[in-house]
Amino acid sequence: MGKVEVNALRGINLTMEKGEFVSIMGPSGCGKSTLMHIVGCLDRPTAGHVHLDEVDIDELDDNSLAEIRNKKVGFVFQTFNLLPKLNAIENVELPLIYAGVGFDVRRKKAQELLEIVGLKDRMFHKPSELSGGQSQRVAIARSLANDPSIILADEPTGNLDSKSGDEIIHLFMDLNTKGITLIIVTHDEEIANHSKRIVRLKDGLVVADSAVTQMTEAQRHNGNHPA
Amino acid sequence: MINLIEPLKISSASLLANRTRSLLTMLGVIIGVAAVITLVSMGEGAKSYILDQVGSWGVGSNSITINPGKENSHSIEMNLTYADAQALRQKVNNLEYLMAEFVGLGRLSYGKKEYKPGFTLGVSADYPFAYKQGAAEGRFFTHAEDAGRKRLAVIGKTVARNLFGEFSPLGENIKINGISFKVVGVLEEKGTMMTYDMDDMVLIPSTLSELVLGTNKIWEMFITVNNEDQVPQAVQEIKKILIARHRKEDFHIHTQQGMIDIINNILNAMTGIVSAIAAISLLVGGIGIMNIMLVAVTERTREIGIRKAIGAKQRDIFFQFVFESVLITMSGALIGITLGTLAAWGIMTWLKMSAVVAWGAVYMACLVAFLVGTFFGVYPAMRASKLDPVEALRFEA
Repeated sequence: MGKVEVNALRGINLTMEKGEFVSIMGPSGCGKSTLMHIVGCLDRPTAGHVHLDEVDIDELDDNSLAEIRNKKVGFVFQTFNLLPKLNAIENVELPLIYAGVGFDVRRKKAQELLEIVGLKDRMFHKPSELSGGQSQRVAIARSLANDPSIILADEPTGNLDSKSGDEIIHLFMDLNTKGITLIIVTHDEEIANHSKRIVRLKDGLVVADSAVTQMTEAQRHNGNHPA
Repeated sequence: MINLIEPLKISSASLLANRTRSLLTMLGVIIGVAAVITLVSMGEGAKSYILDQVGSWGVGSNSITINPGKENSHSIEMNLTYADAQALRQKVNNLEYLMAEFVGLGRLSYGKKEYKPGFTLGVSADYPFAYKQGAAEGRFFTHAEDAGRKRLAVIGKTVARNLFGEFSPLGENIKINGISFKVVGVLEEKGTMMTYDMDDMVLIPSTLSELVLGTNKIWEMFITVNNEDQVPQAVQEIKKILIARHRKEDFHIHTQQGMIDIINNILNAMTGIVSAIAAISLLVGGIGIMNIMLVAVTERTREIGIRKAIGAKQRDIFFQFVFESVLITMSGALIGITLGTLAAWGIMTWLKMSAVVAWGAVYMACLVAFLVGTFFGVYPAMRASKLDPVEALRFEA
């Protein structure tokens, strides 16, 4: 059986600025994941160009892409994708290892990040000893390890109960207010409404690209702080 | 410079996380290496034991031994005589010492005490020099006394203890097979060799052998030349002289070098066979390791995907897997070396010999283990490093 080329994306033109918080939405098979893989430098587009921090990534070889993933991109996955044999702090240290950071510096950095995501007392637990929400926090800490330009989250709350999901979303919002650029792939309207911009895909094309309305923002504020 | 410390740490952590599997994977290497180290160590131990034994009898590399009878013949014709010995003494060039030895049974008595020593030998006056065993007390008899058939005896420590107890035997008269001898010396102690007590011995002048021991045939002639380079030439001369006298080659000649060569040949052949078996074992072990590594790559596809997503380069993944494979074989080799050395030590101690650590085999085992680990690790590691991160992340184990 030969490989069949599937064009998951068909002509997309998107620009995202530093500090943005964008949700990418759409039904299954609309090309959300492919878009994320390409933006995250895991994959190259068959045609077209992707620029990340002014660098044209579709002209880079595998090793340079790995370096960009390491330094400029942070991934947060639906299934967390922590290494089960490593404890929380070792998982957070991984990107720093591949960046060539020495033990003392990276351990300190990983500690700081785990404190930021609120897991100071869970640093030496293995993923199997952590709840889903805690595991996702470790993953977020890991994604922040090398101070990336952009964080890509693929259905980050998909495997979580609504309370943990809520906490993760608020963690993302906190990070965004600190100036971190975020892209979340989701099919959950409520989560998307917490972001500042929603891009809707269908059959590999952008069908809508709009800022989240003031009303929604206001509603959310009202919801959080009842008068 | 590529940092190899981190991949090494990652590899060892991963091996430690799968202890049972790592150990089972190592087993082929462990068994192969342990077998070689055990047998080579034992071989080296046996060799040094044999050389020690030969050396302790005072036999140097400049010595030649002549025995009656054809080599490998079943019936031994005793046909070397005192006259043959005298002929060799006169004609062989560079001759240092010549010791003709007559063997018989002796029954000793001193007063009312009787004793049967292990050996009663008629020997030449060169005995103390040829065998490097002089008299601890008193003296040895001289060539003149040998030629003059003087009834003088030199006895070993064991004999002295049995006949005289605490008293000095020097100057005392004993009877050997009823014939009176004067004890002029007590031999230096030699201890045991191949379970024989070498101090349980009486030596008399070779010329009295026929009278006392009832034999005029030499059991063994022991000759030394001035230096070991002259051995081959001396052997040729001895052959020529004895064949001229006997008109046939009814004797055989050994040199120490010849004996050492034979021992070395046997041990080298054994080492060769063992190494061949070990090579097969390491090959099979190596293929097993490659198999396990391929399974591990598949099993850990997702891990590889995660590592790549967060920035691991191809070479990071490659080294991680190659190092795992090399660590497996090297650890296996080290365990094998330890077990093999202990086994050799145990067996040799049980055999009352001393074990020798076969350093050559140890270095060789480490080198081969490293090469096997690298060779059989490269292919799985290449597969791992070339995995596509997107597909690897999608992989469900």
